[in-house]
Amino acid sequence: MKPIILHGHERSITQIKYNREGDLLFSSAKDNKPNVWFSLNGERLGTFNGHQGAVWCIDVDWTTTKFISGAGDNTCKLWDCETGKETGNIKTMSSVRTCMFSYSANMAVYSTDKAMKQPCEIFIIDVRTIDSSFSQQQPILRIPISGPRVSSILWDNLDEMIITGHESGEINQWDLKTGKKINSTKEHDNLINDMQFNKDGTMFITASKDHTAKLFDTETLALLKTFKTERPINSAAISPIADHVALGGGQEAMDVTTTSTRAGKFDSRFFHLVFEEEFARVKGHFGPINSVAFHPDGKSYSSGGEDGYVRVHTFDSSYFEYNFDY
Amino acid sequence: MAKKKSDKSDENSKNQDSDASSNSEEPNFSDPEGYEEDISDSELLKDILKQKPKETDGYESVIVVDGVPQVGPNRIEKLKSVINKVFGKFGKIVNEYYPLKADESTKGYIFLEYSNPNHAAEAVELANKFKIDKQHTFLVNLFTDFAKYEQIPDKWEPPQTRPYEGQADLHYYLLEPDAYDQYAVVTAQGQSVQIWQNTLPDPSLIEERSNWTQTFIKWSPLGTYLSTFHKLGIALWAGPEFLQYKKFAHANVQYIDFSPCEKYLVTYSPQGESNNPDKKIVIWDIRTGQEKRSFNIDSTSPWPIFRWSHDDKYFGRIGNDVLSIYETPSFGLLDKKSIKMAGIRDFNWSPTDNIVAYWVAEDKDVPASVTLLELPNRNEIRKKNLFNVADCKIHWQTSGDYLCVKVDRYSKSRKEKNEMKYSGMYCNFEIFHMREKQVPVDSVEIKEPIQAFAWEPVGTKFAMIHGETLSINVSFYEVKVGLAPILLKKFEKRACSHLFWSPNGQFIVLAGMGSNGGSLEFVDTQEFLVMNTTDHFQMSDVEWDPTGRYVFTGVSFWKSKVDTGYWMWSFQGKILKRINLERFAQVLWRPRPATLLSEKQQKEIKKNLKKYYAQFESKDRMRQSKASKELIEKRAALMEKFREYREENIKQWQEKKARRLALRNNIDTDELGADTENVEEEVVEFFVKEEIIPID
Repeated sequence: MKPIILHGHERSITQIKYNREGDLLFSSAKDNKPNVWFSLNGERLGTFNGHQGAVWCIDVDWTTTKFISGAGDNTCKLWDCETGKETGNIKTMSSVRTCMFSYSANMAVYSTDKAMKQPCEIFIIDVRTIDSSFSQQQPILRIPISGPRVSSILWDNLDEMIITGHESGEINQWDLKTGKKINSTKEHDNLINDMQFNKDGTMFITASKDHTAKLFDTETLALLKTFKTERPINSAAISPIADHVALGGGQEAMDVTTTSTRAGKFDSRFFHLVFEEEFARVKGHFGPINSVAFHPDGKSYSSGGEDGYVRVHTFDSSYFEYNFDY
Repeated sequence: MAKKKSDKSDENSKNQDSDASSNSEEPNFSDPEGYEEDISDSELLKDILKQKPKETDGYESVIVVDGVPQVGPNRIEKLKSVINKVFGKFGKIVNEYYPLKADESTKGYIFLEYSNPNHAAEAVELANKFKIDKQHTFLVNLFTDFAKYEQIPDKWEPPQTRPYEGQADLHYYLLEPDAYDQYAVVTAQGQSVQIWQNTLPDPSLIEERSNWTQTFIKWSPLGTYLSTFHKLGIALWAGPEFLQYKKFAHANVQYIDFSPCEKYLVTYSPQGESNNPDKKIVIWDIRTGQEKRSFNIDSTSPWPIFRWSHDDKYFGRIGNDVLSIYETPSFGLLDKKSIKMAGIRDFNWSPTDNIVAYWVAEDKDVPASVTLLELPNRNEIRKKNLFNVADCKIHWQTSGDYLCVKVDRYSKSRKEKNEMKYSGMYCNFEIFHMREKQVPVDSVEIKEPIQAFAWEPVGTKFAMIHGETLSINVSFYEVKVGLAPILLKKFEKRACSHLFWSPNGQFIVLAGMGSNGGSLEFVDTQEFLVMNTTDHFQMSDVEWDPTGRYVFTGVSFWKSKVDTGYWMWSFQGKILKRINLERFAQVLWRPRPATLLSEKQQKEIKKNLKKYYAQFESKDRMRQSKASKELIEKRAALMEKFREYREENIKQWQEKKARRLALRNNIDTDELGADTENVEEEVVEFFVKEEIIPID
C-alpha cells in the first residue's frame, strides 16, 4: 500500500516511537519540536514546543500520559501527553542522548554526552509526581561512565536493571539497587545506534555502525543472531507478530553527496529473525534511515529518515502470505 | 701444585662431611677429584668461540697478481706506483709484498692486501686480464682460491644420484569431470588470496592463504601456474595443492609476462636490483628456473616490451629505428643483427603464424606504412602505404585470419614546440585478408572518434564503439573472403566504453566503466538481440570465464572504496551471485589451454547438443534439489533450536507475570487486547476516492 508520508519536521528525524496501543506515533528531529501523529491516517495531533536544540531522544510511558525528551540544548524535559505542556525541565551539563521510562513509569533514565569536559553519565530519576520542585529534585541514582559514552539505552520489564549500548560497541547491564555493572559483552566493533526489545522484552536487537544488527538475550546478553548488511545500520526493530526484523540505515549522511542515490542504499530491509536471511526491501527515503519502529499490532511499520520524512507503511497481504520453507 | 690441590680437596671432603652433619651455611660447588667435564668448550662457549680468530682470517683480503713486469731494484719504485694506481682504486691497500730474486729484481708476481675482502673480490673481478702493456697482462686471483684449488682431491667422485621427486599433475584442474572452472580472488591490505572452484549450485573454496602475494597475482596464459609478487621476486605455484613450483629472484619486480606456451617468463623491475641496477629485465626458463638473459632497458614503450611469437620461438622489441628479433633457446639476435627500420613505431606478432605486422611513421616525403614481415626469412609479404597518419593500432584477430589496423588520420597538422598537433581527425580501418592470395586490403572509414575496438575471438565479426560523449554508438561489422567488411548492426546512444567478447565468440558484453559507470549490456550477435540491460555501479573489471559461460564484474578496492565486491552473471546477463567483499581487489578466472578437439568433433558436439542438454538439465536439477533440501534441513534445525530457546524464555516470562502486574497497577499489558476494561473502541472512517486510470 502507498505509505503515508508525515511531513512535519524541517530537519532530519532522530527517533520515532509508537505508544503502547499504537494509535499514536511520536517523532523527534533535529528541528527542536517533537511531534505526535495519529498512526492510522497520519494526521498531526500536536507538537511539544520548548526545546532549543536538536532533540536526540524521546519516550512515552505505557499509559500515554507522560512524554520525555532529551535534547542538544542540555535539557531533559517531561511533558503532559494530553495537553502537550512542558511539566518538568532538568538542566544537564551536556547534551542528553538517550532517555526512557521504566516499565512501571515510576522512574525514568537519561544519559548525557561526553562533551564540554563533562563525562558521560547515566541518571535515574523519580517521575511519579512532577511539580514545581521537580527540577530541583536529586536523581535516585547517578552512574558516571568513564569509558566510551552511552549511545543507546533500554530498561528491563521489572524495573530492576538497565542495559546500555556504547560508542565502542560494548553492551553493559547495570543493577539499579547497587549501581554496579553486572554483565558486559562486546560483539559489535562500532557505535550502537539503537536497541529495541521484542514484544515480551526477553530479547533485544541492536543496530550498529559496523554494518550489522544483532539479537541478544536480555537476561544473559548471549548473542543469538546476526544480520549483516553492507551499510551502517541506524535502527532495528522486531516484529511483534512474525519472526521478522526491520533494519534501517544506509550510507552515512556525510558521505551521501559523494555518490549517486542508487549507491546510497536507503531501503528498509527485512530479515528473517531465525534464518538471518534477507527477504524484502522497502524503498522511499532519499537519505539514510535513522529510526524504524513496528506498530504494536505488527500490521504496519514506520521509518524516519535523514531526509526529514516519516513514512508509515501498512503491509500488503503479500507480506502476510509470504512464508519461508522449512 | 698437584699436592696442594689434593690437600685442598681433602679439606673439602672433610668440610663436606661436617656440612652433612652440621648443615652449615656454605654448600660445596667444587668438582671432586679426577672429575672430567663431559661438555666440550664448543658447546659451552658457542657464541664466544664464533668470534675466535681463525688462521685463515684476513686471507680473504689478499690477492695475488701474476704477470707483473719483472724489474730491477732501480725501477721498483716506478712499478709500485703503477701497481698502486691500478689497484688502489678498488680499495685501500694495507699491505703489499714484492718477492725478490737473488739479484734483487722482482719475481713477476706480487701480493696485495686490502682492508676489506669485498675490495679484493672487486679487484679480482675487474682487474683480472688487465693489459698493462703489450707484453704484460695481469692475472689476478684471490689468495684463498689457491688454497681452495689445492685441496681438490685427485680422485674424482661421481656425484650421488638424487632420488627422483615426481611432481604433482600440473594439469589436474582440466580433468574436473563437470568442467568446473577455477578462479582466484585477491583482497588488498593483507593480500589474502582465495582459489575457488565454480561448482554448482554454490562455488566451493579450495585454497585460501593470507599474505600469499605482496601486490597482486597473475595466472599463466594456459592456466598452469599462479604467479605471486614479492619483494624479492616472483613465485610460481602449481598442482592440486598449489605448492611452490619455482622462485625467480629479481628484486622489486613490477611487471611480468609469460611466453604464450609458458616456456619463459619475463620479469621487469624498473629500478633494478639494489646491487645490480642494470638488471632490469630478466628472461627465465620456467621449467628449470634458470636465468636465460637479462637486459638493461629504459624503455618508455608500453609493457610488454618484449613480444613473443605464438610458438615461443622468437621474441622481439623495438629499439631506436630498429626491430630486434631474438630467437630461443639461444637468446641471441636472429641472424646476429637487428632489422633496421627508420621510424618504426609499433609491431605485433600474428597469434598463429610467425609473421609480424609493424608500422612506420611518416617522414617528410616518405608516407607512413604498415608492413607484414615473415620470420625468420625476413620476407616482406605485404606493404601498404598510408597518408596523413597520426597514429596506428594493430589488432590481430585471434585465429590469425585477419589483421585490422586502426589508422587515426588528420586533415591538418602543424608543429608546435616540437610536438605535432593534429586537427580534423577521422579514422580508417585497414583490414588485411591474411589467408587470401597477395593479402588484399579493405578500408572502412569512420568519421567519428573511436573509443574501443575488438575482434570476435572466434568468428569473423568485429565490434567498435564510436562517437562523441552523449551519442556513443556501437557498430558490428563482418569480414568475409573476397568481400569488403559489411556493417551488420548499429546500436545508437549507448552508455558504454568497453567491449568484452565471450572467448567463444557470438556473445559480447558492452560495459560502461569509470567512476560513474557501471552499465552492462549482454548482446547475442547472432541476431543482435540485447538479452539483458543492467548495471553494477562503479564497476572496474569485467572477466569472462574461459569457456564463455559466466561473466564476473568487479568493483575493485584499487578504484573505489565503497561497495567493493564481485558479481557473477550468466552469459545471458542473469545475475547469479553478488559477493560484497571488503577490500576486494582482483578476481581472475584460471585460463584453459585451447581445446584438443578437432573442428569436426566440435561440430559434432554442437549438432548433438539436444542429446546432452537433457543430461545436463537433469544433473542440474538434482544438484538444485539437493541444495534446497540442505537449505531446508538447515533452516529446520535453526528453527527447532530457536523454538526451544523461546519456550524456555516464555516460561520464565510468564512466571514473572505477577511482578509485572504489580508494577502496572494490575493492568495486564502483555497482549494488546488483554486489558478489555480500559479500552474504548473508536471507529474512524476514511473518505476514500477510487479512480482507475488506464496506463498506455
